[in-house]
Amino acid sequence: MLTVSVKWQKKVFEGIEIDPTLPPYVFKAQLYDLTGVPPERQKIMVKGGLLKDDADWSAIGVKDGQKLMMMGTADEIVKAPEKAIVFAEDLPEEEQATHLGYSAGLVNLGNTCYMNSTVQCLKSVPELKSALSNYALTGRSNDVDQTSHMLTVATRELFGDLDRSVNAVSPTQFWMTLRKKFPQFSQLQNGMHMQQDAEECWTQLLYTLSQSLKAPASSEDSDAVKALFGVNLRSRVHCQESGEESSETESVYSLKCHISHEVNHLHEGLKHGLKGELEKTSPALGRTALYLKESLIDSLPSYLTVQFVRFFWKRETNQKAKILRKVDYPLELDIFDLCSEDLRKKLEAPRQKLRDEEGKKLGLQPKSSSKDSDVKMTDAEASSNESGESSTVTQQEGASSEKGTLHMTGIYDLVSVLTHKGRSADSGHYVAWVKQESGKWIQYDDSHPSLQREEDITKLSGGGDWHMAYIIMYKARLVSM
Amino acid sequence: MAPVPDPNNVGGGGGAKRDEATMKVPSKDPKKKDDKKEDDLSEEDLELKQNLELYVERVQDPNPELQKAALESMRQEIRASTSSMTSVPKPLKFLRPHYGTLKEFHQNMAESDLKKLLADILSVLALTMSAEGKRESLGYRLTGSGGDIGSWGHEYVRNLAGEIAEEYTMRQSEEASVEDLMDLVKQIVAFHMKHNAETEAVDLLMDVEDLDLLLAHVDRTNFRRTCNYLTSSAKFLAGPDDMLVLDIAYMIYIKFEEYPNALQIALFLDNMQYVKQIFTSCTDLLRKKQFCYMISRHGITVEIDPEMVADKDDRDMLQDIVNNTKLSEGYLTLARDIEVMEAKTPEDIYKAHLLDGRASSGPSVDSARQNLAATFVNAFVNAGFGQDKLMTVPSDAASGIAGNWLFKNKEHGKTSAAASLGMILLWDVDAGLTQLDKYFHSSDNPVLAGALLGVGINNCGIKSDCDPALALLGEYIDNEDSSVRIGAIMGLGIAYAGSQNDQIRSSLSPILNDAKAPLDVIAFAALSLGMIYVGSCNEEVAQSIIFALMDRSEAQLGDALTRFLPLGLGLLYLGKQESVEATAEVSKTFNEKIRKYCDMTLLSCAYAGTGNVLKVQDLLAQCGEHLEKGDIHQGPAVLGLAMVAMSEELGLDMAIRSLERVLQYGEQNIRRAVPLALGLLCISNPKVNVMDTLSRLSHDTDSEVAMSAIISLGLIGAGTNNARIAGMLRNLSSYYYKDASLLFCVRIAQGFVHMGKGLLTLSPFHSERLLLSPTALAGIVTLLHACLDMKSIILGKYHYVLYFLVLAMQPRMMLTVDENLKPISVPVRVGQAVDVVGQAGRPKTITGFQTHSTPVLLAAGERAELATDKYIPLSPILEGFIILKENPDYRDEE
Repeated sequence: MLTVSVKWQKKVFEGIEIDPTLPPYVFKAQLYDLTGVPPERQKIMVKGGLLKDDADWSAIGVKDGQKLMMMGTADEIVKAPEKAIVFAEDLPEEEQATHLGYSAGLVNLGNTCYMNSTVQCLKSVPELKSALSNYALTGRSNDVDQTSHMLTVATRELFGDLDRSVNAVSPTQFWMTLRKKFPQFSQLQNGMHMQQDAEECWTQLLYTLSQSLKAPASSEDSDAVKALFGVNLRSRVHCQESGEESSETESVYSLKCHISHEVNHLHEGLKHGLKGELEKTSPALGRTALYLKESLIDSLPSYLTVQFVRFFWKRETNQKAKILRKVDYPLELDIFDLCSEDLRKKLEAPRQKLRDEEGKKLGLQPKSSSKDSDVKMTDAEASSNESGESSTVTQQEGASSEKGTLHMTGIYDLVSVLTHKGRSADSGHYVAWVKQESGKWIQYDDSHPSLQREEDITKLSGGGDWHMAYIIMYKARLVSM
Repeated sequence: MAPVPDPNNVGGGGGAKRDEATMKVPSKDPKKKDDKKEDDLSEEDLELKQNLELYVERVQDPNPELQKAALESMRQEIRASTSSMTSVPKPLKFLRPHYGTLKEFHQNMAESDLKKLLADILSVLALTMSAEGKRESLGYRLTGSGGDIGSWGHEYVRNLAGEIAEEYTMRQSEEASVEDLMDLVKQIVAFHMKHNAETEAVDLLMDVEDLDLLLAHVDRTNFRRTCNYLTSSAKFLAGPDDMLVLDIAYMIYIKFEEYPNALQIALFLDNMQYVKQIFTSCTDLLRKKQFCYMISRHGITVEIDPEMVADKDDRDMLQDIVNNTKLSEGYLTLARDIEVMEAKTPEDIYKAHLLDGRASSGPSVDSARQNLAATFVNAFVNAGFGQDKLMTVPSDAASGIAGNWLFKNKEHGKTSAAASLGMILLWDVDAGLTQLDKYFHSSDNPVLAGALLGVGINNCGIKSDCDPALALLGEYIDNEDSSVRIGAIMGLGIAYAGSQNDQIRSSLSPILNDAKAPLDVIAFAALSLGMIYVGSCNEEVAQSIIFALMDRSEAQLGDALTRFLPLGLGLLYLGKQESVEATAEVSKTFNEKIRKYCDMTLLSCAYAGTGNVLKVQDLLAQCGEHLEKGDIHQGPAVLGLAMVAMSEELGLDMAIRSLERVLQYGEQNIRRAVPLALGLLCISNPKVNVMDTLSRLSHDTDSEVAMSAIISLGLIGAGTNNARIAGMLRNLSSYYYKDASLLFCVRIAQGFVHMGKGLLTLSPFHSERLLLSPTALAGIVTLLHACLDMKSIILGKYHYVLYFLVLAMQPRMMLTVDENLKPISVPVRVGQAVDVVGQAGRPKTITGFQTHSTPVLLAAGERAELATDKYIPLSPILEGFIILKENPDYRDEE
């Protein structure tokens, strides 16, 4: 008979007797009584290994008074969860994309950043996307030429690819059709495609889309692109010499922000851009005379595009030179004072409503207890969210007739910025900065999207060699009445 | 000497006639000058000058009586003045013009006592007059009367010592006798040792290669400073001198029964004979306990045999301490005292809320990669605390996410997750085995592998009679599933690192030469054997690994894991310098794909921690080459640079500068290794300049450079909670939030920085940076080698190599215990350590200190001292566990 002590967890069981004639299984049964660990789960460490159930005690060489160590628990054995866990890495690419919260970048096909950034900016307009998806594959109306049709289809496909993919998309098809439609983009230099002006690309693309997206009914109203981006200007043309005065209206897709020495802010630039001088034959004087043209906005678009006129043709160097002047732009733009009298009247009521809503948000805060205001605030947010959602819904339906519920306020929020870095329009680098629905800003530098902070977006205003805004796009803030 | 046209020319050789001619010049010339100057002299000086001139004349007098009287007087004058040496003493100054005359006269004198007396004086005069390299002072001294050397003043002795050193080397090359010199050396050493000039005595003895003399001259008052100087100079000496010097230091410490210091040196020399001698010569059991604590910190296996301690119970207790069984307890005491017991989650470490906008909204779906990172972070941060919020949550709480964390990891990720439990319960074997038990019954192979590895990690540095790790893991070594095999093999390697366990060798060695075994199993077996036999130069293990290397096919040699074979081989020779040569010769016959890699690894391992400048140059030369092809041996060369240079501060700073250079001119494969080398040089020691370099590299366009820089940021901040690094890593996590691989590295680095909630260190150095724990270094080096190919190892399916760091993890604490080994709290001052080697008096050893009560944390470069006289520490090196004895002379102030 041997007496040993067994250490189990932090406990030591002294004076356990072993009968060397019986197999170790008996010993384990003894320990089962003491510890509650079933024999098959007991691991008893003896010199050089574990004690086997059928081992011979004499071969193991356990000495009297030896300390043995036992390991084992009566715990439940871990089981794998019934439902296997799905890991992000296992998901197909598309689903991974949705988890990132933003879409993929575009591969640079050789100086195509002007195109990539334009596409990324335009893609951020959901209404344009839905209009494109409504564009029938085959349903080309007769008044749209073949290349325009192809470009439209290519745009739609590209937007779709971008939404589905995680990795950067190569816009080869789109680029081919773009060059087919607009041969000027195929210019070569040293065997390479040249850098192009993003503004030209932007304008041409929008124009093409507007042509092909005109509903087959071909009524003015159903021009989806125009409804989204078109700005109606009413201009008063006035000749100081003769005192002649005429008025004309025109529709443009973007406002120009002229940059001169006095312009420090977008607002000043816009005002500047709406005033112009032109020479034309004066019927009264019978010769060419200087006319002053002053324009005012007559109708507001859902998306207001502003182009900074940063490039001008420099004769001496024979290239488009760039104005580096810093021109600040706000995240929230109010263009009320650029509007015509008629429009202002229309805007007044919705603006008042908007002010009231904001006042309510701010005004409540100091008065009531914090908890209370929190609730109110979330309420207010919820309501504004709702209105925001409904606005997109109605917009998606493409009907401008429902404006009875939603009204323009003349206040716009910045949604995308197309920047240029470099010294001339045909060189340097174009990058798109787009605000996502989640409120995050993403910089699309060709194939590399990256998160940016909102305060960094306003720093793209120029004045150095950093990226500077070239085309910016604002989204109208609507208010429901 | 402008006015005197060098009187040394006079009487130097045989040309007596010419001498006479020139001789007049000096005697005349200075007089003219002196005439002018005489006005400036005070009356006293003038008198002295005239007296001396008189003596000089009289010395040349034929009357020996007069001569003698003159010499005596001259001697008096000189002796009276040589006490201060701020300026040339007056008598010497006034005697200058007559040096030549006296020399001449001395030459022509007949042998007599008087001649000797004159030689004495000339010897002193030569102090200021002798030309460089002539060693006249020594020459005259040897022919002189040989009286008390100190009577001529300190400066004289010092000068003499310098001349002896020169003379000695010259005679050595001529193989002439040096006996007369040695007599003088003895006198000088005796004088120096008596006059607080231990450093000079040691220098002289080192020059004349007879340090044994020192033993006779050290006494209670000066042995400490002597030994201090010896040990710190050993770092700069070439072998075998350094060993010799340390031997002497050891003997001195033994002579004065300063056993803790002696033990330090014995451990440094890796001399078990000495260790044993210390135990046998010391009779105090309490002190022996302190020795055991020191040995356990060093991480080597020592059997306490009956010769060392006779009583069995005492022996068991000492063995328990050596076996580190008390480590967990002490560490938890520290944790409770600092109040960091509360478990931390990975989110507490990431602090994502401090980052604006970005990545703050976590993905809705679990990412296996990120969960794996969280597993590691959780393991490192809660290491040794025995509780966390992912793995140890009781299973009945399994309703939430916590209970099933294991299954939030994918496939091989589960291995690391299960093993993390071993890390959380680090050093607490009983609790660890209990918790890991449930995984042993899993049918899932990766989980089982993790459980095996976990046992190994749990037992790291802890030895037990029952050998639980061997008992449990042994039977899985030949499992059919290779992941389980790797788990068991790696577990054994970690648990038995440095133990030189024969039983494990006999079961692991066959794997190496098993043609059917997969490469990864072989690689880990080689590595584990390298760890178990670290620094042992074991022939048989070396043979097995060499054969395994030779058996590899061309394709296998290109595999990332093959690098572990040469590394395993190198670890066998860690720090063993020349012993590696035979194996290095053999390695030259390897396939050229691995040959150079092997060569570099062996070289760097063998000279790791030696600070050998020549090897540093060798390695630097390797890095300077610009290779065309995909050779990979420069990576280990760069790491080797750090390994060799890391031991000593000056070399370390130089290495950092060299690495900056290499970074700028090196090819990409070198640039990838540089951050890792920096990480090794400053491990757990966040130097600001290195931090900045790494921060810069962490944004490198080459993602591999960035990855190694990020990992290294973690390494230099390991266990420090350094706020600056934490901030950098947080920013990096938002910068790289989209790149899963880089983000993984950032997370791991964050885990490192907060390792053990800031209570741990990875530094392999301890005992005031003197001792290098071989197992700790082995663990770090292995991780760094794995990081050389991040993509296929750590980012692949072998991420558990990160757990090799456990070998280096040690609490950076000072814990005071009483005579019954129960923790007691006493006030201590903790401050920046000051280098006091070779300084006179009893300088302060710390600066800018703060007073805390124990247990306290010690940061890199900090030192502690007791702030009370109530207790006496049993070891002068206040690190780790310190036993305090009550001071019998202590009187309470009141």
